[in-house]
Amino acid sequence: MADKKMNFFEKMQALDRRYIYLVVALAIIIPLLVPFNSKTYVTEPTENIYKKIDSFSGRNDRAVLLCFDHDASTMAELFPMEVAILRHCFERDVQVFTICFMPTAKPLMDYALQTAKEGYEVQSGVDYVNFGFRPWAIRIPTMLKMGDDISEAVEYDDEGRKLTNLPIMKEIMNYNEMNLVVDFAASAAVLSWITYARARFGANVAAGVTAVMAADNYIYLQTGQLIGMLGGLKGAAEYEKLVDVFACHMEPDENGIMQPAPRDFSKEIIKNTWIKMSDIKNRMHKTARIGMNAQTVAHLMIIVFIILGNIGYFISKRKKNKVN
Amino acid sequence: MKRQIPLLIVIILGFIFVIHVFVPHKASADFYDWYQTWIKAISPFMVLLGIMSLFMVHSTKIKRKVPNWQYSVVTLASLIGTGAVGFIWGTQAGTPFMWLFKNVQMPMGATMFSLLAFYIASAAYKAFRARSTEATVLLIAAIIVMLGQVPIGIKISKLIPEASHWILNVPNLAAKRGIAMGVGLGMTATSLKILLGIERTYMGGGK
Repeated sequence: MADKKMNFFEKMQALDRRYIYLVVALAIIIPLLVPFNSKTYVTEPTENIYKKIDSFSGRNDRAVLLCFDHDASTMAELFPMEVAILRHCFERDVQVFTICFMPTAKPLMDYALQTAKEGYEVQSGVDYVNFGFRPWAIRIPTMLKMGDDISEAVEYDDEGRKLTNLPIMKEIMNYNEMNLVVDFAASAAVLSWITYARARFGANVAAGVTAVMAADNYIYLQTGQLIGMLGGLKGAAEYEKLVDVFACHMEPDENGIMQPAPRDFSKEIIKNTWIKMSDIKNRMHKTARIGMNAQTVAHLMIIVFIILGNIGYFISKRKKNKVN
Repeated sequence: MKRQIPLLIVIILGFIFVIHVFVPHKASADFYDWYQTWIKAISPFMVLLGIMSLFMVHSTKIKRKVPNWQYSVVTLASLIGTGAVGFIWGTQAGTPFMWLFKNVQMPMGATMFSLLAFYIASAAYKAFRARSTEATVLLIAAIIVMLGQVPIGIKISKLIPEASHWILNVPNLAAKRGIAMGVGLGMTATSLKILLGIERTYMGGGK
Protein backbone atom coordinates (compact mmCIF):
# COMPACT_ATOMS: atom_id res chain seq x y z
CA MET A 1 0.00 0.00 0.00
CA ALA A 2 2.79 2.33 1.04
CA ASP A 3 4.76 1.45 -2.09
CA LYS A 4 1.80 2.28 -4.30
CA LYS A 5 1.51 5.76 -2.69
CA MET A 6 5.19 6.41 -3.22
CA ASN A 7 4.89 5.38 -6.86
CA PHE A 8 2.06 7.84 -7.29
CA PHE A 9 4.15 10.71 -5.93
CA GLU A 10 7.11 9.65 -8.02
CA LYS A 11 4.90 9.70 -11.07
CA MET A 12 3.63 13.11 -10.04
CA GLN A 13 7.24 14.33 -9.82
CA ALA A 14 7.74 13.49 -13.48
CA LEU A 15 4.35 14.85 -14.57
CA ASP A 16 4.32 16.37 -18.05
CA ARG A 17 4.05 20.14 -17.68
CA ARG A 18 1.27 20.25 -20.26
CA TYR A 19 -1.08 18.73 -17.65
CA ILE A 20 -0.12 21.55 -15.28
CA TYR A 21 -0.89 24.09 -18.00
CA LEU A 22 -4.27 22.45 -18.58
CA VAL A 23 -5.18 22.55 -14.88
CA VAL A 24 -4.12 26.22 -14.62
CA ALA A 25 -6.12 27.12 -17.73
CA LEU A 26 -9.24 25.47 -16.31
CA ALA A 27 -8.65 27.05 -12.87
CA ILE A 28 -8.66 30.47 -14.50
CA ILE A 29 -11.31 30.07 -17.20
CA ILE A 30 -14.06 28.39 -15.16
CA PRO A 31 -14.32 31.07 -12.40
CA LEU A 32 -14.35 33.76 -15.10
CA LEU A 33 -17.25 32.08 -16.89
CA VAL A 34 -19.12 31.13 -13.70
CA PRO A 35 -18.45 33.92 -11.17
CA PHE A 36 -18.99 33.13 -7.50
CA ASN A 37 -19.43 35.57 -4.62
CA SER A 38 -16.31 36.46 -2.72
CA LYS A 39 -15.78 39.18 -0.13
CA THR A 40 -13.20 41.82 -1.08
CA TYR A 41 -11.09 42.94 1.86
CA VAL A 42 -10.21 46.66 1.45
CA THR A 43 -6.72 47.75 2.52
CA GLU A 44 -5.53 51.14 3.75
CA PRO A 45 -3.45 52.19 0.69
CA THR A 46 -6.60 51.80 -1.44
CA GLU A 47 -8.76 53.67 1.08
CA ASN A 48 -6.29 56.56 1.07
CA ILE A 49 -6.55 57.07 -2.70
CA TYR A 50 -10.33 56.86 -2.54
CA LYS A 51 -10.56 59.39 0.30
CA LYS A 52 -8.16 61.82 -1.40
CA ILE A 53 -10.10 61.75 -4.70
CA ASP A 54 -13.40 62.01 -2.84
CA SER A 55 -12.17 65.11 -1.00
CA PHE A 56 -11.96 66.88 -4.42
CA SER A 57 -15.69 66.29 -5.03
CA GLY A 58 -17.49 69.31 -6.50
CA ARG A 59 -14.40 71.56 -6.32
CA ASN A 60 -13.30 73.54 -9.37
CA ASP A 61 -9.94 74.31 -7.81
CA ARG A 62 -8.92 70.68 -7.52
CA ALA A 63 -8.16 68.01 -10.14
CA VAL A 64 -6.67 64.55 -10.47
CA LEU A 65 -4.12 63.61 -13.12
CA LEU A 66 -4.16 60.01 -14.33
CA CYS A 67 -0.95 58.96 -16.09
CA PHE A 68 -1.11 55.80 -18.20
CA ASP A 69 2.33 54.17 -18.26
CA HIS A 70 1.65 50.69 -19.56
CA ASP A 71 0.65 48.78 -22.67
CA ALA A 72 -2.03 46.21 -23.42
CA SER A 73 -0.08 43.29 -21.91
CA THR A 74 -0.84 44.42 -18.34
CA MET A 75 -4.34 45.61 -19.11
CA ALA A 76 -6.00 42.76 -17.20
CA GLU A 77 -4.69 44.14 -13.92
CA LEU A 78 -4.55 47.88 -14.59
CA PHE A 79 -7.55 48.62 -16.80
CA PRO A 80 -10.19 47.80 -14.13
CA MET A 81 -8.54 50.20 -11.67
CA GLU A 82 -8.35 52.95 -14.29
CA VAL A 83 -12.04 52.56 -15.11
CA ALA A 84 -12.95 52.43 -11.40
CA ILE A 85 -11.07 55.66 -10.63
CA LEU A 86 -12.50 57.45 -13.67
CA ARG A 87 -15.97 56.27 -12.69
CA HIS A 88 -15.41 57.58 -9.16
CA CYS A 89 -14.38 60.97 -10.58
CA PHE A 90 -17.38 61.19 -12.91
CA GLU A 91 -19.80 60.03 -10.23
CA ARG A 92 -18.55 62.50 -7.60
CA ASP A 93 -17.94 65.45 -9.94
CA VAL A 94 -14.14 65.41 -9.58
CA GLN A 95 -12.19 67.14 -12.37
CA VAL A 96 -9.88 64.67 -14.06
CA PHE A 97 -6.99 64.91 -16.55
CA THR A 98 -5.39 62.03 -18.44
CA ILE A 99 -1.96 61.83 -20.06
CA CYS A 100 0.41 59.17 -21.41
CA PHE A 101 4.04 59.13 -22.49
CA MET A 102 4.03 55.76 -24.24
CA PRO A 103 2.54 55.46 -27.75
CA THR A 104 1.12 52.04 -26.84
CA ALA A 105 -0.70 53.53 -23.85
CA LYS A 106 -2.64 56.07 -25.93
CA PRO A 107 -5.36 53.74 -27.26
CA LEU A 108 -5.68 52.27 -23.76
CA MET A 109 -6.20 55.70 -22.27
CA ASP A 110 -8.87 56.52 -24.87
CA TYR A 111 -10.55 53.16 -24.29
CA ALA A 112 -10.60 53.66 -20.51
CA LEU A 113 -12.22 57.08 -20.95
CA GLN A 114 -14.81 55.72 -23.39
CA THR A 115 -15.63 52.84 -21.06
CA ALA A 116 -15.90 54.95 -17.89
CA LYS A 117 -17.96 57.66 -19.64
CA GLU A 118 -20.79 55.27 -20.46
CA GLY A 119 -23.83 56.25 -18.43
CA TYR A 120 -22.47 59.66 -17.44
CA GLU A 121 -23.20 63.02 -19.05
CA VAL A 122 -19.66 64.30 -18.80
CA GLN A 123 -18.16 66.74 -21.24
CA SER A 124 -14.59 66.96 -22.47
CA GLY A 125 -13.05 70.28 -21.50
CA VAL A 126 -15.59 70.82 -18.74
CA ASP A 127 -15.53 67.69 -16.56
CA TYR A 128 -12.36 66.08 -17.86
CA VAL A 129 -9.52 66.71 -20.31
CA ASN A 130 -7.46 64.20 -22.21
CA PHE A 131 -3.97 65.69 -22.57
CA GLY A 132 -3.16 62.90 -25.02
CA PHE A 133 0.22 61.42 -25.85
CA ARG A 134 3.51 63.21 -25.20
CA PRO A 135 6.84 61.67 -26.26
CA TRP A 136 8.78 59.87 -23.54
CA ALA A 137 11.74 62.21 -24.09
CA ILE A 138 9.74 65.15 -22.73
CA ARG A 139 8.29 63.22 -19.78
CA ILE A 140 10.49 64.81 -17.12
CA PRO A 141 10.40 68.34 -18.61
CA THR A 142 6.58 68.03 -18.73
CA MET A 143 6.41 66.88 -15.10
CA LEU A 144 8.62 69.76 -14.03
CA LYS A 145 6.82 72.37 -16.11
CA MET A 146 3.49 71.25 -14.66
CA GLY A 147 4.85 72.48 -11.35
CA ASP A 148 4.80 76.02 -12.75
CA ASP A 149 1.96 76.05 -15.25
CA ILE A 150 0.10 73.04 -16.65
CA SER A 151 -1.17 74.93 -19.68
CA GLU A 152 2.42 75.78 -20.63
CA ALA A 153 3.63 72.22 -20.07
CA VAL A 154 0.91 70.70 -22.23
CA GLU A 155 -0.50 73.67 -24.24
CA TYR A 156 -3.00 71.69 -26.35
CA ASP A 157 -5.29 68.80 -25.40
CA ASP A 158 -5.82 65.63 -27.43
CA GLU A 159 -8.51 67.35 -29.52
CA GLY A 160 -6.16 70.20 -30.43
CA ARG A 161 -7.80 72.78 -28.17
CA LYS A 162 -5.66 75.27 -26.30
CA LEU A 163 -5.80 74.42 -22.59
CA THR A 164 -6.15 78.05 -21.52
CA ASN A 165 -9.46 78.22 -23.45
CA LEU A 166 -11.01 75.26 -21.63
CA PRO A 167 -13.49 75.93 -18.77
CA ILE A 168 -12.00 73.13 -16.65
CA MET A 169 -8.65 74.97 -16.52
CA LYS A 170 -10.11 78.19 -15.08
CA GLU A 171 -9.02 77.51 -11.52
CA ILE A 172 -6.27 74.99 -12.25
CA MET A 173 -2.72 76.25 -12.52
CA ASN A 174 -0.18 73.68 -11.27
CA TYR A 175 0.30 70.90 -8.69
CA ASN A 176 -1.23 73.13 -5.99
CA GLU A 177 -4.58 72.57 -7.70
CA MET A 178 -3.93 69.35 -9.64
CA ASN A 179 -3.07 67.97 -6.25
CA LEU A 180 -3.10 64.24 -6.99
CA VAL A 181 -1.24 62.27 -9.64
CA VAL A 182 -2.13 58.59 -10.04
CA ASP A 183 0.38 56.71 -12.16
CA PHE A 184 -0.71 53.38 -13.65
CA ALA A 185 2.39 51.40 -14.46
CA ALA A 186 3.85 47.96 -14.94
CA SER A 187 7.32 49.36 -14.37
CA ALA A 188 9.17 51.71 -12.02
CA ALA A 189 7.69 54.71 -13.89
CA VAL A 190 5.97 55.99 -10.76
CA LEU A 191 9.39 56.75 -9.31
CA SER A 192 9.81 59.74 -11.65
CA TRP A 193 6.55 61.28 -10.35
CA ILE A 194 7.86 60.80 -6.81
CA THR A 195 11.24 62.33 -7.72
CA TYR A 196 9.98 65.34 -9.66
CA ALA A 197 6.32 66.06 -8.81
CA ARG A 198 6.40 64.97 -5.16
CA ALA A 199 9.91 65.93 -4.02
CA ARG A 200 10.12 69.22 -5.88
CA PHE A 201 6.54 70.50 -5.84
CA GLY A 202 4.89 68.56 -3.01
CA ALA A 203 2.23 66.98 -5.24
CA ASN A 204 0.40 63.99 -3.84
CA VAL A 205 1.36 60.88 -5.80
CA ALA A 206 -0.38 57.51 -5.83
CA ALA A 207 0.35 54.37 -7.81
CA GLY A 208 -1.73 51.79 -9.59
CA VAL A 209 0.69 49.00 -10.36
CA THR A 210 0.77 45.35 -11.32
CA ALA A 211 1.03 42.87 -8.44
CA VAL A 212 4.61 42.07 -9.49
CA MET A 213 5.62 45.72 -9.10
CA ALA A 214 3.67 46.35 -5.88
CA ALA A 215 6.40 44.91 -3.63
CA ASP A 216 8.82 47.54 -4.99
CA ASN A 217 6.58 50.41 -3.92
CA TYR A 218 6.04 49.59 -0.23
CA ILE A 219 9.09 51.66 0.67
CA TYR A 220 7.46 54.78 -0.78
CA LEU A 221 4.17 54.02 0.97
CA GLN A 222 5.94 53.79 4.32
CA THR A 223 7.75 57.10 3.81
CA GLY A 224 4.54 58.82 2.70
CA GLN A 225 5.98 59.64 -0.73
CA LEU A 226 3.06 57.63 -2.11
CA ILE A 227 -0.24 58.50 -0.48
CA GLY A 228 -1.76 55.22 -1.62
CA MET A 229 -1.36 52.27 -3.91
CA LEU A 230 -3.55 49.88 -5.85
CA GLY A 231 -1.60 46.65 -6.14
CA GLY A 232 -2.62 44.39 -9.01
CA LEU A 233 -6.09 43.02 -9.57
CA LYS A 234 -6.68 42.96 -5.79
CA GLY A 235 -6.20 46.73 -5.60
CA ALA A 236 -8.56 47.19 -8.55
CA ALA A 237 -11.19 44.95 -6.90
CA GLU A 238 -10.89 46.95 -3.67
CA TYR A 239 -11.37 50.25 -5.51
CA GLU A 240 -14.32 48.87 -7.49
CA LYS A 241 -15.94 47.90 -4.20
CA LEU A 242 -15.37 51.34 -2.65
CA VAL A 243 -16.91 53.04 -5.70
CA ASP A 244 -19.96 50.77 -5.52
CA VAL A 245 -20.42 51.08 -1.75
CA PHE A 246 -19.93 54.85 -1.46
CA ALA A 247 -19.80 56.87 -4.72
CA CYS A 248 -22.49 54.85 -6.55
CA HIS A 249 -24.61 54.14 -3.52
CA MET A 250 -28.34 54.21 -4.18
CA GLU A 251 -31.28 54.54 -1.84
CA PRO A 252 -35.04 54.27 -2.43
CA ASP A 253 -37.00 57.54 -2.59
CA GLU A 254 -40.54 58.09 -1.23
CA ASN A 255 -41.98 55.99 -4.07
CA GLY A 256 -39.51 53.20 -3.53
CA ILE A 257 -37.54 54.04 -6.69
CA MET A 258 -33.79 53.70 -6.31
CA GLN A 259 -32.01 57.05 -6.59
CA PRO A 260 -28.29 57.90 -6.50
CA ALA A 261 -27.27 58.78 -2.93
CA PRO A 262 -23.48 59.03 -2.72
CA ARG A 263 -22.13 58.82 0.82
CA ASP A 264 -18.83 59.56 2.51
CA PHE A 265 -16.26 56.91 3.22
CA SER A 266 -16.75 55.04 6.47
CA LYS A 267 -14.74 52.10 7.80
CA GLU A 268 -17.82 50.75 9.59
CA ILE A 269 -19.93 50.65 6.41
CA ILE A 270 -17.19 48.95 4.39
CA LYS A 271 -16.65 46.40 7.14
CA ASN A 272 -20.27 45.34 7.15
CA THR A 273 -20.99 45.57 3.42
CA TRP A 274 -21.38 42.49 1.33
CA ILE A 275 -22.03 43.04 -2.38
CA LYS A 276 -23.08 40.00 -4.31
CA MET A 277 -21.88 39.76 -7.89
CA SER A 278 -25.50 39.36 -8.94
CA ASP A 279 -26.37 42.70 -7.26
CA ILE A 280 -24.25 44.72 -9.67
CA LYS A 281 -26.02 45.43 -12.93
CA ASN A 282 -23.13 46.32 -15.20
CA ARG A 283 -20.59 43.51 -15.58
CA MET A 284 -17.97 46.03 -16.72
CA HIS A 285 -17.97 47.48 -13.21
CA LYS A 286 -17.11 44.20 -11.51
CA THR A 287 -14.33 43.02 -13.85
CA ALA A 288 -11.68 43.05 -11.13
CA ARG A 289 -13.85 41.28 -8.58
CA ILE A 290 -14.72 38.53 -11.06
CA GLY A 291 -11.03 38.36 -11.94
CA MET A 292 -10.23 37.93 -8.24
CA ASN A 293 -12.28 34.72 -8.27
CA ALA A 294 -10.02 33.36 -10.99
CA GLN A 295 -6.98 34.59 -9.09
CA THR A 296 -8.20 32.87 -5.90
CA VAL A 297 -8.54 29.52 -7.65
CA ALA A 298 -5.22 29.99 -9.50
CA HIS A 299 -3.39 30.81 -6.23
CA LEU A 300 -4.92 27.76 -4.56
CA MET A 301 -3.86 25.60 -7.52
CA ILE A 302 -0.30 26.89 -7.31
CA ILE A 303 -0.21 26.20 -3.54
CA VAL A 304 -1.52 22.66 -4.14
CA PHE A 305 1.15 22.19 -6.83
CA ILE A 306 3.87 23.38 -4.43
CA ILE A 307 2.66 21.05 -1.66
CA LEU A 308 2.36 18.04 -4.02
CA GLY A 309 5.76 18.74 -5.53
CA ASN A 310 7.36 18.93 -2.07
CA ILE A 311 5.69 15.75 -0.79
CA GLY A 312 7.01 13.95 -3.88
CA TYR A 313 10.44 15.48 -3.35
CA PHE A 314 10.68 14.32 0.29
CA ILE A 315 9.40 10.81 -0.50
CA SER A 316 11.95 10.46 -3.33
CA LYS A 317 14.68 11.80 -1.05
CA ARG A 318 13.82 9.31 1.71
CA LYS A 319 13.77 6.46 -0.78
CA LYS A 320 17.19 7.46 -2.11
CA ASN A 321 18.60 7.67 1.42
CA LYS A 322 17.26 4.18 2.19
CA VAL A 323 18.89 2.76 -0.97
CA ASN A 324 22.23 4.40 -0.09
CA MET B 1 37.45 65.19 -32.16
CA LYS B 2 34.71 62.61 -32.81
CA ARG B 3 34.94 61.56 -29.18
CA GLN B 4 36.04 64.82 -27.57
CA ILE B 5 33.15 67.02 -28.76
CA PRO B 6 30.34 64.69 -27.50
CA LEU B 7 32.32 64.26 -24.27
CA LEU B 8 32.53 68.05 -23.82
CA ILE B 9 28.79 68.46 -24.50
CA VAL B 10 27.97 65.83 -21.85
CA ILE B 11 30.34 67.30 -19.25
CA ILE B 12 29.30 70.94 -19.76
CA LEU B 13 25.54 70.27 -19.94
CA GLY B 14 25.74 67.76 -17.10
CA PHE B 15 27.26 70.32 -14.76
CA ILE B 16 24.84 73.02 -15.95
CA PHE B 17 21.89 70.79 -15.02
CA VAL B 18 23.38 70.02 -11.61
CA ILE B 19 23.82 73.76 -11.01
CA HIS B 20 20.26 74.44 -12.27
CA VAL B 21 18.79 72.21 -9.54
CA PHE B 22 20.59 74.09 -6.76
CA VAL B 23 20.53 77.67 -8.13
CA PRO B 24 17.07 79.25 -8.39
CA HIS B 25 18.36 82.27 -10.40
CA LYS B 26 16.41 83.70 -13.36
CA ALA B 27 19.21 82.78 -15.77
CA SER B 28 18.97 79.20 -14.57
CA ALA B 29 15.17 79.16 -15.06
CA ASP B 30 15.50 80.75 -18.53
CA PHE B 31 18.08 78.19 -19.53
CA TYR B 32 15.72 75.41 -18.49
CA ASP B 33 12.84 76.90 -20.55
CA TRP B 34 15.17 77.11 -23.55
CA TYR B 35 16.17 73.48 -23.01
CA GLN B 36 12.51 72.38 -22.88
CA THR B 37 11.78 74.01 -26.23
CA TRP B 38 14.77 72.21 -27.72
CA ILE B 39 13.85 68.82 -26.30
CA LYS B 40 10.30 69.19 -27.70
CA ALA B 41 11.77 69.93 -31.14
CA ILE B 42 14.28 67.09 -30.98
CA SER B 43 12.01 64.32 -29.64
CA PRO B 44 10.08 63.68 -32.92
CA PHE B 45 13.41 62.95 -34.60
CA MET B 46 14.04 60.25 -32.03
CA VAL B 47 10.84 58.50 -33.17
CA LEU B 48 12.00 58.89 -36.77
CA LEU B 49 15.37 57.40 -35.85
CA GLY B 50 13.63 54.46 -34.19
CA ILE B 51 11.50 53.78 -37.28
CA MET B 52 14.53 54.03 -39.57
CA SER B 53 16.49 51.66 -37.36
CA LEU B 54 13.62 49.17 -37.31
CA PHE B 55 13.36 49.31 -41.09
CA MET B 56 17.10 48.88 -41.60
CA VAL B 57 17.39 45.91 -39.19
CA HIS B 58 14.39 44.03 -40.56
CA SER B 59 14.91 44.80 -44.25
CA THR B 60 18.48 43.47 -43.91
CA LYS B 61 17.10 40.30 -42.30
CA ILE B 62 14.63 39.87 -45.18
CA LYS B 63 17.28 40.53 -47.86
CA ARG B 64 19.71 38.04 -46.32
CA LYS B 65 16.94 35.49 -45.66
CA VAL B 66 18.28 34.86 -42.15
CA PRO B 67 16.46 32.18 -40.09
CA ASN B 68 12.89 33.29 -39.22
CA TRP B 69 13.06 36.21 -41.68
CA GLN B 70 9.31 35.81 -42.18
CA TYR B 71 8.73 37.43 -38.78
CA SER B 72 10.52 40.53 -40.03
CA VAL B 73 8.01 40.74 -42.92
CA VAL B 74 5.15 40.58 -40.40
CA THR B 75 6.84 43.27 -38.24
CA LEU B 76 7.29 45.69 -41.16
CA ALA B 77 3.83 44.98 -42.58
CA SER B 78 2.28 45.63 -39.14
CA LEU B 79 4.25 48.85 -38.72
CA ILE B 80 3.23 50.18 -42.13
CA GLY B 81 -0.37 48.91 -41.88
CA THR B 82 -1.05 50.28 -38.36
CA GLY B 83 0.62 53.58 -39.20
CA ALA B 84 -1.37 53.89 -42.41
CA VAL B 85 -4.80 53.28 -40.84
CA GLY B 86 -3.92 55.74 -38.07
CA PHE B 87 -2.90 58.46 -40.56
CA ILE B 88 -5.83 57.87 -42.93
CA TRP B 89 -8.79 57.39 -40.55
CA GLY B 90 -7.43 58.81 -37.29
CA THR B 91 -7.20 57.14 -33.90
CA GLN B 92 -10.53 58.00 -32.29
CA ALA B 93 -13.22 55.54 -31.16
CA GLY B 94 -14.79 53.58 -34.01
CA THR B 95 -11.83 53.94 -36.39
CA PRO B 96 -9.95 50.96 -37.92
CA PHE B 97 -6.98 51.91 -35.71
CA MET B 98 -9.04 51.34 -32.54
CA TRP B 99 -10.43 48.14 -34.06
CA LEU B 100 -6.87 46.89 -34.59
CA PHE B 101 -6.00 47.88 -31.03
CA LYS B 102 -8.98 46.12 -29.46
CA ASN B 103 -8.88 43.01 -31.63
CA VAL B 104 -5.17 42.51 -32.30
CA GLN B 105 -2.92 44.35 -29.89
CA MET B 106 -5.03 43.90 -26.74
CA PRO B 107 -5.51 40.13 -26.98
CA MET B 108 -1.93 39.53 -28.16
CA GLY B 109 -0.47 41.61 -25.33
CA ALA B 110 -2.72 39.93 -22.76
CA THR B 111 -1.77 36.50 -24.12
CA MET B 112 1.94 37.21 -23.77
CA PHE B 113 1.58 38.40 -20.17
CA SER B 114 -0.83 35.62 -19.17
CA LEU B 115 1.77 33.02 -20.13
CA LEU B 116 3.45 34.06 -16.89
CA ALA B 117 0.72 32.31 -14.87
CA PHE B 118 1.43 29.02 -16.64
CA TYR B 119 5.19 29.29 -16.22
CA ILE B 120 4.86 30.25 -12.53
CA ALA B 121 2.57 27.28 -11.85
CA SER B 122 4.88 24.91 -13.68
CA ALA B 123 8.02 26.31 -12.02
CA ALA B 124 6.34 26.20 -8.58
CA TYR B 125 5.53 22.54 -9.10
CA LYS B 126 8.85 21.49 -10.59
CA ALA B 127 11.38 23.66 -8.76
CA PHE B 128 9.94 25.26 -5.59
CA ARG B 129 11.37 22.76 -3.09
CA ALA B 130 12.12 23.05 0.63
CA ARG B 131 15.74 21.96 0.06
CA SER B 132 17.21 24.20 2.77
CA THR B 133 16.08 26.36 5.71
CA GLU B 134 16.19 29.51 3.53
CA ALA B 135 14.16 27.83 0.78
CA THR B 136 11.61 26.64 3.37
CA VAL B 137 11.21 30.17 4.79
CA LEU B 138 10.77 31.52 1.24
CA LEU B 139 8.22 28.82 0.45
CA ILE B 140 6.14 29.48 3.58
CA ALA B 141 6.29 33.26 2.99
CA ALA B 142 5.17 32.76 -0.62
CA ILE B 143 2.19 30.63 0.45
CA ILE B 144 1.13 33.17 3.11
CA VAL B 145 1.39 36.10 0.66
CA MET B 146 -0.47 34.19 -2.06
CA LEU B 147 -3.30 33.41 0.35
CA GLY B 148 -3.26 36.91 1.83
CA GLN B 149 -3.76 38.44 -1.62
CA VAL B 150 -7.03 36.62 -2.34
CA PRO B 151 -10.42 36.72 -0.56
CA ILE B 152 -10.14 33.10 0.63
CA GLY B 153 -7.16 34.02 2.83
CA ILE B 154 -9.29 35.97 5.29
CA LYS B 155 -11.89 33.21 5.25
CA ILE B 156 -9.29 30.67 6.37
CA SER B 157 -7.97 32.93 9.12
CA LYS B 158 -7.89 36.65 9.88
CA LEU B 159 -4.21 36.20 10.66
CA ILE B 160 -3.32 35.36 7.04
CA PRO B 161 -3.87 38.86 5.55
CA GLU B 162 -2.15 40.33 8.62
CA ALA B 163 0.84 38.02 8.22
CA SER B 164 0.94 38.78 4.48
CA HIS B 165 0.84 42.51 5.27
CA TRP B 166 3.70 42.08 7.77
CA ILE B 167 5.84 40.14 5.27
CA LEU B 168 5.38 42.83 2.63
CA ASN B 169 5.89 45.71 5.07
CA VAL B 170 8.81 44.46 7.13
CA PRO B 171 11.17 41.87 5.57
CA ASN B 172 10.26 42.78 1.97
CA LEU B 173 10.56 46.48 2.70
CA ALA B 174 13.92 46.07 4.44
CA ALA B 175 15.34 44.12 1.49
CA LYS B 176 13.88 46.50 -1.10
CA ARG B 177 15.19 49.54 0.75
CA GLY B 178 18.65 47.99 0.90
CA ILE B 179 18.55 47.33 -2.83
CA ALA B 180 17.22 50.86 -3.52
CA MET B 181 20.02 52.44 -1.50
CA GLY B 182 22.59 50.31 -3.30
CA VAL B 183 21.14 51.26 -6.68
CA GLY B 184 21.02 54.93 -5.65
CA LEU B 185 24.65 54.97 -4.60
CA GLY B 186 25.61 53.12 -7.78
CA MET B 187 23.69 55.62 -9.93
CA THR B 188 25.33 58.56 -8.17
CA ALA B 189 28.79 57.06 -8.63
CA THR B 190 28.15 56.28 -12.32
CA SER B 191 26.68 59.76 -12.93
CA LEU B 192 29.74 61.38 -11.36
CA LYS B 193 32.03 59.20 -13.47
CA ILE B 194 30.13 60.26 -16.62
CA LEU B 195 30.22 63.94 -15.63
CA LEU B 196 33.94 63.79 -14.98
CA GLY B 197 34.61 61.95 -18.23
CA ILE B 198 35.89 58.79 -16.53
CA GLU B 199 33.04 56.59 -17.79
CA ARG B 200 32.89 56.77 -21.60
CA THR B 201 31.36 53.44 -22.67
CA TYR B 202 28.01 55.17 -23.45
CA MET B 203 29.70 56.68 -26.53
CA GLY B 204 30.31 53.22 -27.99
CA GLY B 205 33.57 51.62 -28.94
CA GLY B 206 33.95 49.97 -25.53
CA LYS B 207 37.00 51.99 -24.50
